[in-house]
Amino acid sequence: MDACHFRCAEGQAFEKGHFEREQTRTCALFDKTGAAESIDCSLFISGAAKMTAQNGFGQILSPLSVDEALAAMAHGAVPIAGATWVMRAPLRHEPLPGQLLSLSGLNDLHDLTIDTKCASLGAMTTHDKLAVALAPHADLSGLAAAAGNSANPGIRRVATLGGNIATSAFAASDLAPALLAADATVILATASGQKALPMETFLASRAGLGHGGLILRVEIPRSPRNAAHARLPMRKAGDYPCAIVSISVSVLAGMIADIRIAVGAVEPTARRWTALEDRLIGTAYDPARAEAEARKLTDGFTAREAIDAPGWYRLSVLPVLLRRAFLKLQAGV
Amino acid sequence: MPIELNINGDTITLEIDPRTPLLDVLRDRQRLTGAKAVCREGFCGACTVHVDGQPVPSCLRPVGMLQGCRIVTVEGLAPSGTLNRVQQAFIDHDVVQCGMCFPGMVMTLTEFLDREPSPSRDQIKTALVGNICRCTGYERIIDAVLSMQTEAAK
Repeated sequence: MDACHFRCAEGQAFEKGHFEREQTRTCALFDKTGAAESIDCSLFISGAAKMTAQNGFGQILSPLSVDEALAAMAHGAVPIAGATWVMRAPLRHEPLPGQLLSLSGLNDLHDLTIDTKCASLGAMTTHDKLAVALAPHADLSGLAAAAGNSANPGIRRVATLGGNIATSAFAASDLAPALLAADATVILATASGQKALPMETFLASRAGLGHGGLILRVEIPRSPRNAAHARLPMRKAGDYPCAIVSISVSVLAGMIADIRIAVGAVEPTARRWTALEDRLIGTAYDPARAEAEARKLTDGFTAREAIDAPGWYRLSVLPVLLRRAFLKLQAGV
Repeated sequence: MPIELNINGDTITLEIDPRTPLLDVLRDRQRLTGAKAVCREGFCGACTVHVDGQPVPSCLRPVGMLQGCRIVTVEGLAPSGTLNRVQQAFIDHDVVQCGMCFPGMVMTLTEFLDREPSPSRDQIKTALVGNICRCTGYERIIDAVLSMQTEAAK
């Protein structure tokens, strides 16, 4: 058996892979295919670690490779990046997962490269780093604005790209609509190899991915477009938005040659507003007209009711947000 | 297995669940009560501390992820018995009201002023969007920060 090698959160390295299961003294020794056998943990872990299990403490595992992370996930460990969502589990009346899997040690997930053809954004990239890195690029400026205005500065220093888009229960993600508008692809590691999913497919299937995939990075094809992000939080800043519109547009001689429009925070999951895209392509780039067209098409959404805003309100502000996104680009298109 | 943390320059060792928020370790184990437990969801900023020089909400940082990091709380910003320049400005301008937000404000502003020594009023407001003052004492806080530039220019 080719045992995996983990560091526990407590800092102990184990020569033979192990982790506790469901806070019992039974551990699983597993190989890189994910095959596991149950053994008594006393064979492999120190007295102190056993005490941890007996005390009912949880664990934070720190895999040293993607294979190790996938193997641990197959046995129920929950990956964490910035941990800003999982640490709020008690507020949602949910238990904290017993085994967390810190991805901090996976160096490839921290990579961020932008060249003329592609922007490759590692899953562990924090919001504040994304905002700084993407801001100079017109086609990526919508995503930069999304990353640079979400939540508040303290959260942005910790919360990551991968953690944000993996959280299917979080409807008000700023990154999700911005990535849809950017035509992003999510690269996942799975037990059967890497998988590339268009952002839309990823969002539709992520809740069902369970322990089956680890987000490695997001790739965005570069193109001569302009992008903008408009959001409406209840406070001026430092809050989640009740509605978001992200656009990425190509304008030739004042006419919209192509446009992608994505809406976030209105429905449980962000999505493209294709009916409006079809209506605007081939027309003049006109913020007022775009708002008017949007107002005719809001009934295509089933807006969510939540404590921050009722559904009707989210729908009523969408056309305004679209106009604001258009206005942000007007000088440059 | 013990967890080792570096807090205000001291190395401490704890037998604790690694998922425990740093905030709880600071307040309950170390009696460093400057960081306040208010919203516990990263929105109020009252629990802000520096981790490797960055102001972050300690309520959302599990201690198991912080081994090897340098943690500084409001108690560790200046040598014992002294104040740093933001703390002194807060006193000079009678900024502190109920006292819940100001340690977090001090942590945020200390790092911000290191990066941006001569900020505008709007820049200060932007820096503070993650620090909520329930006494709504924002303007005096901002005045205090701006006064530091005036004092420095004298």
